Amino acid sequence: MSIAPLLNKVFMVDLIKGLKVTFKYQHPKEVYTEQYPLERPAIAERYRGLPRLNVNPETGETLCIACNLCATACPEHLIVVQSERNPATKRKEMTSFTLDISRCMFCGLCAEACSTDCLELSQDYEFALYSRDGFIIDRARMERGSEPTVYTR
Amino acid sequence: MTDSTKSGFYQETAGPDQTFLDANELVLNMGPQHPSTHGVLRVILRLDGEKVLGTECVIGYLHRGVEKIAENRTYTMFNPYVDRMDYVAAVSNGLGYCLAVEKLLNIEAPPRAAYIRVVLTELNRMASHQLWLGTHALDIGAMTPLFYTFRDREEILKIYEKYCGARLTTHAFRIGGTLYETYDGFEQDVNNFVKFVTPKIGEYEELLTTNRIWVERTKGVGVLSGKDCIDFGVTGPVLRAGGVKWDLRKAQPYSMYDKFDFEIPTGENGDTFDRYIVRIAEMRQSLRIIDQAVNSIPAGPIMAKVPKVMKPAVGEVYVSIEAPKGELGYFVVSDGSTQPYRVRVRPPSFVNLQALDKMVRGALVADVVAVIGTLDIVLGEVDR
Amino acid sequence: MLDYVTSYLHSSLTPGQAGNWLWALVYILVIFAGVSGIVIVMNWGERKALAHMQVRLGPMRVGPHGLMQPIADAIKLLTKEDIMPSEADKPIFWLAPVWVVMIAFSVFIVVPFGPTHAVTDMNIGILFMLGVSSLGVLGIVMAGWASNSHFPLMGALRSSAQMVSYEIAMGLAVVSAIVMTGLGGIGPYGIGSGAGSGTLSMIGIVQAQAQQHVWFIFKFFPVGLVAFFIFAVAMIAETNRAPFDLPEAESELVAGFHTEYSGLRWSLFMLGEYAGMVAVSSIAITLWLGGWLRPFPSTHGPAINIPFLWEHPEQGVVDFAFSFAPALVMLALAFFSFFNAMRMPKHPLLKIQTIGLYAFGLVLAGVGLILLAPPVRDRIQDIFWFVFKIACFMYLYIWYRATWPRYRFDQLMKVGWKVLLPLGLGVLLVTGIIGLGPEIAAWLKGVV
Ligand code: SF4
Ligand code: SF4
Repeated sequence: MSIAPLLNKVFMVDLIKGLKVTFKYQHPKEVYTEQYPLERPAIAERYRGLPRLNVNPETGETLCIACNLCATACPEHLIVVQSERNPATKRKEMTSFTLDISRCMFCGLCAEACSTDCLELSQDYEFALYSRDGFIIDRARMERGSEPTVYTR
Repeated sequence: MTDSTKSGFYQETAGPDQTFLDANELVLNMGPQHPSTHGVLRVILRLDGEKVLGTECVIGYLHRGVEKIAENRTYTMFNPYVDRMDYVAAVSNGLGYCLAVEKLLNIEAPPRAAYIRVVLTELNRMASHQLWLGTHALDIGAMTPLFYTFRDREEILKIYEKYCGARLTTHAFRIGGTLYETYDGFEQDVNNFVKFVTPKIGEYEELLTTNRIWVERTKGVGVLSGKDCIDFGVTGPVLRAGGVKWDLRKAQPYSMYDKFDFEIPTGENGDTFDRYIVRIAEMRQSLRIIDQAVNSIPAGPIMAKVPKVMKPAVGEVYVSIEAPKGELGYFVVSDGSTQPYRVRVRPPSFVNLQALDKMVRGALVADVVAVIGTLDIVLGEVDR
Repeated sequence: MLDYVTSYLHSSLTPGQAGNWLWALVYILVIFAGVSGIVIVMNWGERKALAHMQVRLGPMRVGPHGLMQPIADAIKLLTKEDIMPSEADKPIFWLAPVWVVMIAFSVFIVVPFGPTHAVTDMNIGILFMLGVSSLGVLGIVMAGWASNSHFPLMGALRSSAQMVSYEIAMGLAVVSAIVMTGLGGIGPYGIGSGAGSGTLSMIGIVQAQAQQHVWFIFKFFPVGLVAFFIFAVAMIAETNRAPFDLPEAESELVAGFHTEYSGLRWSLFMLGEYAGMVAVSSIAITLWLGGWLRPFPSTHGPAINIPFLWEHPEQGVVDFAFSFAPALVMLALAFFSFFNAMRMPKHPLLKIQTIGLYAFGLVLAGVGLILLAPPVRDRIQDIFWFVFKIACFMYLYIWYRATWPRYRFDQLMKVGWKVLLPLGLGVLLVTGIIGLGPEIAAWLKGVV
């Protein structure tokens, strides 16, 4: 064994090198933790979160034309769209829209399939619930969209 | 214990004349709930003191029947499911599946899409190796690398989130290309990441590579020579650590990998230390590829002409790619309908896990943990 | 009765030596409370320091910067359901944690926090400490056996093998230090400077260092250092801490010998572990790092006399400067918490926490001010330096844990038997040869 590795071994250079790294990272500036409810993560624009049904911002009417494309596209068959033909306008009108988000994998296939940009995956990621019942969300909830949790004491 | 008795484990190894209460042997159930079997793997160990006399893996705790699900989904619909197999390297899984179906449909992703795919899959290789390094180090008792690697992996996940909207199970690619155009500042982000992470890899090495405890724990542990690897069908870094220069990215280039300049790092002894060195070197090579790819993404469409309803002609294809863990193959059979007749996945983790028994026989309990770590298995992929 | 109580106040003996049972009891209670306090602080400190080394924050929610976390944890552990495996050997299962804690605290009887600040001073103090502290392994073996489960059993087996092999190297290092107490030898102050008489008493060992004007870690350099190194390694192995934490190796044996324990019993194991860490650190401090002595204990500087503030004619300006150390450390900590309170994010939810941190800073500052008062200041010196050295050791423990991987069982044995044991023997031999250097030289002359 040549002299340099031997000295390295005796003076434990290898172990001290590691100690140096951990020591350096103690600086408070290096802390990477986000304190979640206080600091919220910046959500990307394309984030695929809770599905949302868009409404026409002026009239408040839904954009959905009840074409059922989203329901066919969903690999998990989570979407149920019910519609009724309006006798006055001769158009199909959506009467109810439910989505089981407990099994949704936020793949975005439904939003891709939607012909009117009505169904969209929003940036909402806070939809934990205390029971399973709430996971089947209806039209009203989906139109309201994001409801970030407010933490109080 | 019923399943293990049924499988002939006791009969084969303990002999019929030995009673159940053999004082010389200790049967230890590691898992399915154990801190370092990387998920729900159950390993039944027969021990003599600390020495391992034999092992048996019991898998299937995470079986979800992904291959069967495929038979009831259209080709497009099945795409998000493949992310759930090797969830650590979801993008690679997606790439493999998309390539397979593209071959079945006889189309090819446009160059721009291919370049984006390369950038994302190589980022994914980084992420997967980082996660492997952190958990492997944790298995061997070094807690801190885990947090450093997770911190650095987070940057990759942020790029994914910005690119396609999901962090882990990305569903980033579509059959025929990619759905998402690069966002503004994508190149910038990736270049920044490369600059940011290069010194960090040096830091991981400072913590581990020369550390005498790390070297002692890994050198000569779980040796699997190149020949053994080939016999077992083991692929990926484990094979390369055995000295076999085999990388599908070079051997049968896909997705324009032949355009990039990179090396295949190999080891010599095929022990745990070599596998560590190979993976660290692979991270550096990945950075090289990312650097080349992201700065030369060509302009053009990102989606090939794909029929809205996919009905591939009757036939079958097998396409395999070099996933972070080894050869990931998709065998897709079409019966001409919109749904695949059969999808069979060749998961690298499942095949690599076979070698566990050979690697740990005669070693100590602590080595079992180290070897499970070094095989880099993901139970989602083993069980599917 | 009152005489009996007050008579001790003017003695310069430990209560045990003075035969004063009342003060002995007081000391025992104070030490029990003090060590428990150190354990609580250590609990918080370990989580925080470890977290920061790992770019995390650690506990932040219970109290400002998680200061109340140990208390919350204690309450949680106390109120948890007490689970005993139905197949367990009940009496032994019950006894094991109690045993561990009992042993861990018993050794503190002879730990000298100052010339008189020990429960008693046995003439075989160091022997008592080594003997009793190695009984702790019995608790671990009992826990492993009684759990009637494989992981604990293996943890216990590992533990007993580990203790046996490290005890020997540890003993050799300790003997080398004890030999040093009786040797003037060629210290840094020349041959035969301040020769002491050999002693096994913990207080005697520190006093020998004071008389010889050298901490034993620097004596016969580098012999003392090597002996200290052997002890430092063996000490980590003795207390089952990383990188030698094989008996509990969480990635292999789940939690080792205490896998089946939960709630209060588990917390007793933790208490025992931390108390054991403090105990072995105090052996190291006593033997090599000058116990309660401050750094440079024999440099006094020119004598000064300031009325009321400094009235020790035999001591000098250096002593005067060092006497402010305890107060300054407290004030620095107070400043640190004020600084952090100021940097707290301004958020209505964090208002209480910010106020709490200010209050904590105030308390620390108050303690610092009290420590400035001359009577308190002079009494507290010895204890302060001892505790300060313990704190350094605790930090090192955390630092090692954060950085290094864990040894494997056979490698651990290899380090113990093939490295530390021969090294210990060598150190002992070299100590003797150097110490008896003049005699050996004279004898050689006679022969030739
Ligand atoms: S995101 Fe995917 S799984 Fe969820 S509803 Fe839409 S299509 Fe179905
Ligand atoms: S695809 Fe869009 S428009 Fe059609 S039913 Fe679904 S949400 Fe409505």
